[in-house]
Amino acid sequence: MFKGISLLLVLFSVLFLTVIVIGATGISDKILNGIIQDRLRAIRQQLSREIQNPEDLERALERIKEDLIRSYGLDKPWYIRMPDMIWRILMLDLGNSRTVRSFSGSNKISDIILERMPNTILLMVTVLIINFILSLVVGVKAATKPGSILDRFVSVYSAVSYALPSWWLGILMILVFAFYIKIFPFGGMYSTPPPTDPFMRSIDLIWHLCLPVLTLTIATSGSWIYITRSIVITTAQEDFVTTARAKGLPERLVLWRYIIRVAAPPILTNLILGLAFYLGGAILTETVFTWPGMGLLYFEAIMSVDEALILALTYIFTLIYIIARFILEILYVLVDPRVRYA
Amino acid sequence: MSKYLRNTFSDFWASKVSKIGVFFLFIVITVSIYTLITFPLDYGVRYWNNPKYWVDNPKAAMPQWVNSFLGGGLLDHQIISTSVPQRSYPSGIYYMKFYEHVFDLKVDQFPTFLTLKLEKLVYYSSRTPTIKLFVTRPDNKTIELYRLVAEAPLPDEHPPYVRYAEEPKRILLSGETQLSYFLSEFLLKEYHVTFEPSEVTKIGYEKVIFGELYEDNFRPLKGKYIFTVLLHTLDSRDQIGKTTIIIGGQIYGFMGTDILGRDLSQGLLFGFPVALLIGFITSVLTTVIGASLGIIGGYIGGRLDDAIQRISDIMNNLPQLPLLIFLTFIFGGKLWVIVTVLVAFGWSTLVIVVRSMILQIKSSSLIEAAISLGASKWRIMAKHIFPQVAPYILSQMIFYTPSAILSEAALSFLGLGDPSIPTWGQILEYGFRNGAVFLGYWWWILPPGLLIVFSAVTFVFIALGLEPVVNPKLKRWR
Repeated sequence: MFKGISLLLVLFSVLFLTVIVIGATGISDKILNGIIQDRLRAIRQQLSREIQNPEDLERALERIKEDLIRSYGLDKPWYIRMPDMIWRILMLDLGNSRTVRSFSGSNKISDIILERMPNTILLMVTVLIINFILSLVVGVKAATKPGSILDRFVSVYSAVSYALPSWWLGILMILVFAFYIKIFPFGGMYSTPPPTDPFMRSIDLIWHLCLPVLTLTIATSGSWIYITRSIVITTAQEDFVTTARAKGLPERLVLWRYIIRVAAPPILTNLILGLAFYLGGAILTETVFTWPGMGLLYFEAIMSVDEALILALTYIFTLIYIIARFILEILYVLVDPRVRYA
Repeated sequence: MSKYLRNTFSDFWASKVSKIGVFFLFIVITVSIYTLITFPLDYGVRYWNNPKYWVDNPKAAMPQWVNSFLGGGLLDHQIISTSVPQRSYPSGIYYMKFYEHVFDLKVDQFPTFLTLKLEKLVYYSSRTPTIKLFVTRPDNKTIELYRLVAEAPLPDEHPPYVRYAEEPKRILLSGETQLSYFLSEFLLKEYHVTFEPSEVTKIGYEKVIFGELYEDNFRPLKGKYIFTVLLHTLDSRDQIGKTTIIIGGQIYGFMGTDILGRDLSQGLLFGFPVALLIGFITSVLTTVIGASLGIIGGYIGGRLDDAIQRISDIMNNLPQLPLLIFLTFIFGGKLWVIVTVLVAFGWSTLVIVVRSMILQIKSSSLIEAAISLGASKWRIMAKHIFPQVAPYILSQMIFYTPSAILSEAALSFLGLGDPSIPTWGQILEYGFRNGAVFLGYWWWILPPGLLIVFSAVTFVFIALGLEPVVNPKLKRWR
């Protein structure tokens, strides 16, 4: 319960922060002005057919403009308009993008994001699952034999993968596997034109998925394996583990029922916490591989200085992260019998 | 205390990782100091982002050492200058001065471009001199390449008339239409083949100048080429201060060039102190803020502690990179903005860990003894608590350095870096955006990334070496 409130607080503070930043720097005024100009242009086209006299037309447009300014609250300063703005964003009324259109041609930001989100989730979840398996298999193995070759490899690998920027690794992968060896595509999600047969289409998707997933896995799995190893080692030194061993239980049983059971929640925490890292990483990796997800969208928004889109995406990124944290809280109860919410 | 320090140090030094880390750090610092001494501080604005400074360099040329791997088959970049005429004699009422440039084509490659540069032309007669460029090839054929009439004197100007003094006259011969006519004429005369001037342009002037026609194809003609600049004038005092022929090569410098012809080795060198500075300032500020808030909150407790806890809890749950991008985008890519934002998002993780350590230490008998002796809160925090958490804080400070370096590189890669200072991330961004990956310009992509990894790994290794010192539990299994 308490955790939930704190997460909601995070969401609100991000909203406040972004809105204050956008308001105080005058960017909000620019966005609204842009929207009003767009609407006026549309109205002018419509009206010019009905009103022939140019003077009348200008006068009518002037009146409509004033109405629009009032309805968007541009006649008031940003700090009075702000509550309304926060409300709009909270209700997911994200506005329209100036520069980017969805694949179906809509410029409503919610449409664009909804179209891109599954692509990002596909990429992230694939990497998440691979990392989870890797960290359990390799991390636990390394933990049971500290100082072994595997263990030393894990610590060096984690250090290097921590220092390895995923986006640069991605560029490297493209250079090696797409430019020189030519076995994987340079980027994108489907070949052009995409295969029509559903089976070939999914094969094509997997073929395009290989390099981004490989890149993200190499760049992120190291630290996860290392964290798993540290948690397992620390747990293995608890008294109840010694007791279990003293009882003469087989090592396998001690490892899986006593150590992993207890180590699982913190491992899970780290996995989900890594989501934040992933989301950030998505912006860069998707840009490198032109993977049409939300990260690439964020990059496009920055490049074309589309303020409304940037604001909306920042909010959505936070929202997804918060939702993931909520899921984590629920999983906690399932995994760790000691955690019960009153 | 000194024994404790010595033990700590030998624990740290025992692992191979820490030795490598310290060695790397030594390299990074040495190179940074060297760069700071030899480069001007406004290097980014004055040179790096000033395309004029790089105009004579070959574009997207590979590093020079590649040649030794490829058996020396690549053409090196050459800049040949003369400031005194090799020959000069009167001819009728005219004077002829010849400025010669000898170029030896030793490899089976065509130059990538050809540029003529004239500096400080001085003339006295009111009739402007003519400048012509000829080349005499190894097969003793001579081609006229270019003709130029200097700008005439202005009505109120008095001799000597000086031209091209402040800004040298630079003629990119590879892009001059004049050449297509001269070369088309040359091909007709010497090889009896007809190429329309537009066809010559399509083939490329370098192929005609430096090649011989062989079964409809041009192949490189090796040997000595003499480029002669002829100054045709009415006054014997007329002269050109310096003439230069630039023969565009395929290799340049130690690290090659980018598509603007910028010497990548210079940009990469300048990246060292910048990365070190960003890493150092960010990590120090982050740990100072995080550790002091953790110690104060943990020890004093009460409402202050609650407030610190809540704020850092919120900060901890923010998705960092999107907000980092958002804020840098809004406030503009200045180095100090990037550092401030990194610090603002970095301190909160440390607070929580340090606070939990303080809560344990607080209840120890050492602190109780200090309190009963009447020590003040601040004295206890500074003298008795801080030294106990100091190794951990230090290791966190070192651990935070690479993430600052990496974050700055990521922001630069998205085009949000500080444009007045060249960084590795920016070099990569420029390369990626200009399709270096799709053209296979590996020398533009590999080194900056490797240096980012190198500088980050340096600090990760040191932090890793410190880990057994800070957390001795991690050394054994049972």
